[in-house]
Amino acid sequence: MFCEKAMELVRELHRAAEGRLPAFNEDGLRQVLEEMKALYEQNQSDVNEAKSSGRGDLIPTIKFRHCSLLRNQRCTVAYLYDRLLRIRALRWEYGSVLPSALRFHMSAEEYNSECQDSAFLGPESHSGKMDWFNRYKKSLATYMRSLGGDEGLDITQDMKPPKSLYIEVRCLKDYGEFEVEDGTSVLLKKNSQHFLPRWKCEQLIRQGILEHVLS
Amino acid sequence: MFVSDFRKEFYEVVQSQRVLLFVASDVDALCACKILQALFQCDHVQYTLVPVSGWQELETAFLEHKEQFRYFILINCGANVDLLDILQPDEEAVFFVCDTHRPVNVVNVYSDTQIRLLIKQDDDLEVPAYEDIFRDEEEDEEHSGNEGDEGSEPSEKRTRLEEEIAAQTLKRRQRREWEARRRDVLFDYEQYEYHGTSAAMVMFDLAWLMSKDLSDMLWWAIVGLTDQWVQDKITQVKYVTDVGVLQRHVSRHSHRHEDEAHALSVDCARISFEYDSLTRPSLRLALYQHWSLHDSLCNTCYTAARFKLWSLHGQKRLQEFLADVGLPLKQVKQKFQSMDVSLKENLREMIEESANKFGMKDMRVQTFSVHFGFKHKFLASDVVFATMSLMESPEHGSGTDSFTQALDSLSRGNLDKLYHGLELAKRQLRATQQTIASCLCTNLVVSQGPFLYCALMEGTPDVALFSKPASLSLLSRHLLKSFVCSTKNRRCKLLPLVMAAPLSAEQGTVTMVGIPPETDSSDRKNFFGRAFEKAAEGTNSRALHNHFDLSVIELKAEDRSKFLDALVTLLS
Repeated sequence: MFCEKAMELVRELHRAAEGRLPAFNEDGLRQVLEEMKALYEQNQSDVNEAKSSGRGDLIPTIKFRHCSLLRNQRCTVAYLYDRLLRIRALRWEYGSVLPSALRFHMSAEEYNSECQDSAFLGPESHSGKMDWFNRYKKSLATYMRSLGGDEGLDITQDMKPPKSLYIEVRCLKDYGEFEVEDGTSVLLKKNSQHFLPRWKCEQLIRQGILEHVLS
Repeated sequence: MFVSDFRKEFYEVVQSQRVLLFVASDVDALCACKILQALFQCDHVQYTLVPVSGWQELETAFLEHKEQFRYFILINCGANVDLLDILQPDEEAVFFVCDTHRPVNVVNVYSDTQIRLLIKQDDDLEVPAYEDIFRDEEEDEEHSGNEGDEGSEPSEKRTRLEEEIAAQTLKRRQRREWEARRRDVLFDYEQYEYHGTSAAMVMFDLAWLMSKDLSDMLWWAIVGLTDQWVQDKITQVKYVTDVGVLQRHVSRHSHRHEDEAHALSVDCARISFEYDSLTRPSLRLALYQHWSLHDSLCNTCYTAARFKLWSLHGQKRLQEFLADVGLPLKQVKQKFQSMDVSLKENLREMIEESANKFGMKDMRVQTFSVHFGFKHKFLASDVVFATMSLMESPEHGSGTDSFTQALDSLSRGNLDKLYHGLELAKRQLRATQQTIASCLCTNLVVSQGPFLYCALMEGTPDVALFSKPASLSLLSRHLLKSFVCSTKNRRCKLLPLVMAAPLSAEQGTVTMVGIPPETDSSDRKNFFGRAFEKAAEGTNSRALHNHFDLSVIELKAEDRSKFLDALVTLLS
């Protein structure tokens, strides 16, 4: 049946948990585009025939193929858009350097970061995922630099306004040495508690190595 | 050296630095740690907290962390040994030691820069004078140098040589006398182990000095003091004095209650002093408000020992007592909260009267309680038992896991952990009483001459609950009290007790604990620390003095008998 491949793409993303980016299904997308191309060509020939020979009975078929084309387009656009949203969330989650595992899940490794377009590009540029990510990164950085006077303000630090500069954290696993701002380091061993600046700990809290102790 | 102004010489020094806190594993240390953490969080002092349960852990943790820190704070560990020798720190490292263990090691007292003791000097310390212990080594070296220079001109120098030899022998004799006197002084000073003011109270004092004290901190100070009392670490007189000090703080914190217009909200913690009030009795029964009265009477050491509840006769006496007080059995066996209100109102007086008749004169005890919300009310001793059980329960894997559980349970937001601790405490108390009953009924407590000895066998039920030092010490103390009540032999009543419990089956070790004899006016001084050390050295037993309390050691099971023989000869 038509549009099944497109449905598969959408289902694949739906199944993936919130925040995870599954590998880019280049194969699936290509098949959908081929199907669309095939449908379009069939429709073209049928339309020509209907126009020339006045065969009205082809019109429902044409309409049907047109609907499937539209459906395919909606599914592919949804797939690509959802992936873009997830990549954007990755920038806020992981910072400007992505772990290599995630990078492989994206398509194409072009580091074409000269272009300074707006943050969201159309879905046509599906082959430039990495490209898009880099451009989003740059755009965000420019914006952050423009805030807060000379130094700029890192808005990816605190999602909610912080109540205190320092927080009490407890170490859940052995991690090793962790550097603090003035060059000295702290040894993170299991079950040791520390009182450290909030922004330094956020990364480790997200990774599950430290636990915020609320008292 | 002793720190005289805690604020200037301790707090302001560490305020701008990063510090490392070593905290021992007992409830008093936990409370002191919580107070200090609260102060540090208020002032944004970056700290790292490392729990330690023994000397080995302290040494390893110190080695791991010493590169990163310059200031170290030790709570309830480290005052009674030569810290510089054990830890071998760098020149710049500074240690602040807040410890209740006495006697304070003389090197710690007289070290000028590196070791700073956060101990009040009016605590009865009796440190020997400097001249008695330390002596310049230079004079002797000069003379030995001069001796070498001699020898070129025999005749004239001979008389001078003779004089010098006479002078040297005199000096040597003086030196030997001085050394003998030094040994005696040190022996007297270090012979008995005892405890000083609670570390939590010292920290609370610091907070009060800086006007940063909160009622939470006051409650922790109260819990720390009560821990010392529950574990019999301080004398009754000292406890009463310290309670007086804390009561002044409590009345200062709670004076707002009298004025109805400014009453505190229900959720705030209200601490009250329990002694004279009619509606809130403060009986010496463990956990009685969280349990049924009957359970509490059976499982509190004081009442169980006096009634001799391990025998059938004792059970009957308990029934008589309850009948005398006028409490129906059905009421007494249900949860205290659901007892009839009319019974609860006059409970204290009724129990005290009957207790006097049955020979228990100290049913009333001065203590504090805290209320928050409508439901939660705890006596200080409840919290002590709960925290102690959390810290020593075998259900959590490693020692540091239980430490963090116990530390969390002291915060007001973690009441579920505190209730869990209360359940564990009930289990612990029940197991203690059952073990005591079985020991007494099977006559496991044997007199070895200068002391009593009791060994728990491997297969005893609940023996896993008694492998940690605080639980084992509590068991031993209760056992001694019960034994004193049960035996007719007058000499045995004055003997101390040594108790052994299996620690680890794979390594074949046992934990041994020594308890001083039980007398009414005992000063709680324990000589077993030194005695164990000497006995272990003398017999080459493989003993590990790992705990901060020197009277608790770990011993290989095979060496047990020769160790005991050595101990007997040493003490008789």
